[in-house]
Amino acid sequence: MQHLADVEVYSVRTLREALELLSSVKGLRVIAGGTDLIVQLKTGVVPKTNLLDVSRVDELRYVRFEDGILRIGALTTFMEIYRSELVRRHAPLLAEAAFTVGSFQIMNKGTIGGNIVNASPAADSLPPLYALNAELKIVGPRGERFVRIQDFYKGYKKLDLMADELVAEVRIRPPGEGYVGHFFKHGLRRGDAIAVVNGAVLLRLSPEGIVRDARVALGAVAPTVVRSPSSERVLVGSRLSPEVMWRAAEAVVNDISPIDDVRGSAAYRRELSVNYVFMTLYRIARETGVVA
Amino acid sequence: MYGLKFPHSARTREIRFVLNGSETSVRVPPGYTLLETLRYVLRMTGTKEGCARGDCGECTVLVDGVPVHACLTLMSQVEGRSVLTVEGIDRQHRLIRAFVEEGAVQCGHCTPGIVVAAYHLLSQVPRPTEEQVREALRGNLCRCTGYVKIIRAVLKAGEA
Amino acid sequence: MTAQRAVGAPVARRDAFEKAVGAAKYASDLFLDDMLWVAVLRSKYPHARIRRIDTSKAESHPNVVAVFTHRDVPVNRYGLFKKDRPVLCDDKVRYIGDPIALVAAETREDALEALKLIEVDYEPLPPVTDPIEAMRPDAPKVHDDGNICREVHLRLGDVDGAFARADVIVENTYRTGAQIHAYLETEAGISYMEDGKIVVVAGGQSPYRDRAEIAHALNLPEEMIRVVTPYVGGAFGGKDDITVQIHLALVTWKTGRPARLVWSREESMMAGTKRHPAIIKIRTAATRDGTILANKIEIVLDKGAYTALGPAVLDVAVENCNGPYRVQASQIDAYLVYTNNMVASAFRGFGAPQVIFAIERQMDLLAKKLGMDPLELRLKNALRKGDRYVFGNVLEGSVGIAQCLEVARSHPLWRSRGRNSCEWPWLRRGVGVAAAMKGYTIGALPDKGVVALELLRDGRVLVKGSFTEIGQGVIQAVAQIAADLLGVSVDDVEVVFADTEVTPDTSVTSASRQLFLAGNAVREAVEALRERVAELEGRLSGRRPARVEFSGGWVFIDSERRYSLQELARLLESTGLGRQVLGVYEVPRVEPLPGTLEIPHLFYMFGVTLAEVLVNLLTGEVTVSKVVSIVDAGRVINPITFTGQVEGAVAQGIGFALMEDAKIRDGYLLTRDLSTYLIPSSKDVPEIEVIPVETEEAEGPFGAKGIGEIGIISVAPAILNAVADATGVEPNAIPLTHERLYWLLKEHGLVEQLRRAST
Ligand SMILES: Cc1cc2nc3c(=O)[nH]c(=O)nc-3n(C[C@H](O)[C@H](O)[C@H](O)COP(=O)(O)OP(=O)(O)OC[C@H]3O[C@@H](n4cnc5c(N)ncnc54)[C@H](O)[C@@H]3O)c2cc1C
Ligand code: FES
Ligand code: FES
Repeated sequence: MQHLADVEVYSVRTLREALELLSSVKGLRVIAGGTDLIVQLKTGVVPKTNLLDVSRVDELRYVRFEDGILRIGALTTFMEIYRSELVRRHAPLLAEAAFTVGSFQIMNKGTIGGNIVNASPAADSLPPLYALNAELKIVGPRGERFVRIQDFYKGYKKLDLMADELVAEVRIRPPGEGYVGHFFKHGLRRGDAIAVVNGAVLLRLSPEGIVRDARVALGAVAPTVVRSPSSERVLVGSRLSPEVMWRAAEAVVNDISPIDDVRGSAAYRRELSVNYVFMTLYRIARETGVVA
Repeated sequence: MYGLKFPHSARTREIRFVLNGSETSVRVPPGYTLLETLRYVLRMTGTKEGCARGDCGECTVLVDGVPVHACLTLMSQVEGRSVLTVEGIDRQHRLIRAFVEEGAVQCGHCTPGIVVAAYHLLSQVPRPTEEQVREALRGNLCRCTGYVKIIRAVLKAGEA
Repeated sequence: MTAQRAVGAPVARRDAFEKAVGAAKYASDLFLDDMLWVAVLRSKYPHARIRRIDTSKAESHPNVVAVFTHRDVPVNRYGLFKKDRPVLCDDKVRYIGDPIALVAAETREDALEALKLIEVDYEPLPPVTDPIEAMRPDAPKVHDDGNICREVHLRLGDVDGAFARADVIVENTYRTGAQIHAYLETEAGISYMEDGKIVVVAGGQSPYRDRAEIAHALNLPEEMIRVVTPYVGGAFGGKDDITVQIHLALVTWKTGRPARLVWSREESMMAGTKRHPAIIKIRTAATRDGTILANKIEIVLDKGAYTALGPAVLDVAVENCNGPYRVQASQIDAYLVYTNNMVASAFRGFGAPQVIFAIERQMDLLAKKLGMDPLELRLKNALRKGDRYVFGNVLEGSVGIAQCLEVARSHPLWRSRGRNSCEWPWLRRGVGVAAAMKGYTIGALPDKGVVALELLRDGRVLVKGSFTEIGQGVIQAVAQIAADLLGVSVDDVEVVFADTEVTPDTSVTSASRQLFLAGNAVREAVEALRERVAELEGRLSGRRPARVEFSGGWVFIDSERRYSLQELARLLESTGLGRQVLGVYEVPRVEPLPGTLEIPHLFYMFGVTLAEVLVNLLTGEVTVSKVVSIVDAGRVINPITFTGQVEGAVAQGIGFALMEDAKIRDGYLLTRDLSTYLIPSSKDVPEIEVIPVETEEAEGPFGAKGIGEIGIISVAPAILNAVADATGVEPNAIPLTHERLYWLLKEHGLVEQLRRAST
């Protein structure tokens, strides 16, 4: 157990101050909600460093819908996301995921920016963001830039983010009419639990029940969250029959590379990925009346 | 304050916040957690520690009216905010009465954190369903009761 | 004024309010000015020789007051059955939590920093972590005298004859895991010097026993040590052994300073005791009509590194492994085996949950083989009062197992068995039953409890005993019993508990016996008070009265005279007879069977659990959707505490059955926090219906039985039997984690079958 009594904490109220300090003080680490970072510092997973507390930069806490784009400030908590009418309307997948992040206490403190930058392959917000083709707004001393969520992750906890940059906003272009989907998560307990496998399935179905667009994202089964093009290919153009659902589900194994850890073996994760994609497709099919 | 000593390496600063309605100022390392400050510095021990990493919910307090883990809240994060601990809840509150009458307390170590979480739930949803109570308390572990009477007590307080 | 009868009334607990408002003080809530913060250096290896310990750098760290090693401990071995556990390791470390050194510093941070500065030169030794391997003669030795800590071999009745006669024989091997207590308050305490004594205030279960252990280790007379046990934030057996007490006493004794030691959660997970993992092989002989003839049972318990309370746990396992059935003959071979795993000791149920899991799964498998209803099979073989149990003992106490089974049989949940399909094609529903038994109060070992009863000057009553309030509500129950016996209102009874300086020795709080002992001792104390009143009356009137009755705040003497309790207190004081009496209760016992410590017991508790589960065939997840716990409770002293105890036990049973998976690899614990070692949350514990079956226990206070443990014992087998009902697969190891069940389901083709059915 590490103690943090000798850590210096810089507190800022504005994004500008935050960026200035990040550029001028070396080795600062950003702390938002702290629900990941404090645990990591105390257990020594992350070496002790001085901190930049951005938890009060209120300009980064919002949910807005402008120019046809859902915009979520990086400091928005999962409780705020879960409660947001805008998120429920334009990105219900994300609202579903937000509700499963830890306990209410964690939902009240953990931010979407923290979830993204912490870059755990099991992070619950990520499969929905992958399925929704979300984009990140990154700000730094050189101004702002936009990165697609898929491109943000370069490998296990390797990010397209410089030490003097912050993630400022998550942008989601709502997929449009006719899309249905669900988030799923397998935890080893029904209460607060980290995902053994999680994911999101988002489909656009024609009135005849033909899949016009398919997006399948999976977490905790590779160094980063992944989309499953193999599964998506099986789905697009097909009618959602149980046979297609199973084939699409089984195709995900081509796109994942799970490992063993304390919560489950790689082999079990592979099985869960297949079975959850099947169950989620089945659920969508039933909700849309494609199967009884 | 009560002779709590900090290591020589500690960096301390004056942190002001409102604690259970009173302006409070403590000189602590900003990297101290709110839980460490409450228990070790202020010796307000109603807020318990069960894990110090967000897994048990024993340290639940309200910061600006919202339940969070005191063990995952740095003092820099409470600066200028208001904190409510179990000690700040009216002892005659119907929730306390319901916990006592329904037998929701056994060893009682989890109880303050659960009372705070339930207090907040009732302030948001005066008549919660059983499902809502179970969700709101899903991060508050209790090893003694099996939750049955805790849930009943919260529902009962919600009926009043 | 007549006092309302308190026994049997759902009276709110007296400690509930102060706990709910956060005012109650636990050991971890105590801070003293000028106290030292203590931290413990623990072994990095599961098994290693210690070549050298260098504490010099740590000692020169700023704010470090002292560093202690084995060289500072006068008698460096402690333990309840066998003094084999080092206070601080000297020659070897035997598990990853083994303590090596203590740092006492002015600040918590400095104590933690200084730990990193202690250099230990280890010579790693090959660890032995599988108890079966540990039994081989060539296995690495945990202790010099070999790895078998204790063994019991019993040959009861004509086992060979029974097997020769049998129509069916069923044989299976069962396994249970290393459940961790995971009480919410970790092991904690403070210590200080007062009037030349070392005072230790710590979470524990038995202050007198802890005092004896401290005195032994420090080589001091017991009178020099005072142990106080405040409210304890959960114990369940895990605080039956020494935790922080000797370390604290050592620091205070050597430095003269107050000290505080609170284990971190990780420390608690590693250094705290566990439930003994078990491997149990049962071979059952039965006739075609379902009469059980004999069981051949082999039990291996993984002791971990030190003896602790293991021998008693082994005995409980042996005593209850045939289940609550009329078994004619049994061959039992049981082994308690040292390994380099974490130490196992007492945990609610003490060995019974392991063996009952095995025998109750075996009963279902036997029923399946016979084509019988599992509940009928149990009823057919259930013990009745007056039966001779397999050890030759006649069951003269209450035996409510048949009643419990009958209640189960007519319960709607049981009658709904067979409805297996669910809303989604991948879900299956199942219902299971299992019975439980356990001997209670220490059987053949001498066991005695003392309480003091003081009549206060204002007429109220003070009961003093060393019982500890670990959450089970004993102080409330004692108050209720005293109130009724003395005819006063329960609010007029004050209870002082668990302080070796002011409370007499009421023996240990474990094995569901505290209330039984304390309650009976209170009854004896009231008799002593009656006697005292008779003596008083003899002095005052020259004639001993025939009858002394307490009622409504008065004592009635024959039917001639009465005093208020206030007057009585004054008279007892002025005559020099004294206002305090002692009540001593000695548990009736039987001679132990040769080769056992305490088999058989005189009293048994019984219970039956019904569980409903939903199994997801595509994930292996089992959701427990309803539990009915039917308990032969004797007389219920307080329905609230009673149901509360059972509900809590059921929740722990669900964890034991399904999710509490202490992952230990080569002696290293991988699940060191509550995010990887999962205990049930509010969303994992379903509605629990508790049905008491009241059969009076003649020997218990007001006919009460011990009820602390029975609720957990048959939960795991009921859940696994329900899983078998739902799916047809027969899992025989717990915890039945999602992954374990999933592979079983897959192996049995259920996943494939589901796929074929849906396409
Ligand atoms: C008990 C418990 C349960 C949990 N359960 C879940 C769960 O079920 N699902 C899940 O997904 N997660 C879970 N988490 C993890 C955690 O709560 C989430 O990942 C949360 O979203 C992190 O957000 P935060 O604001 O607290 O991050 P912090 O801890 O403050 O930061 C995390 C990382 O991100 C960086 N960072 C934060 N914000 C920014 C920013 N705007 N720009 C650049 N860098 C930034 C920090 O430097 C740090 O490296 C759990 C954690 C705990 C303690
Ligand atoms: S102590 Fe904060 S959650 Fe456990
Ligand atoms: S009452 Fe003991 S942990 Fe909840």
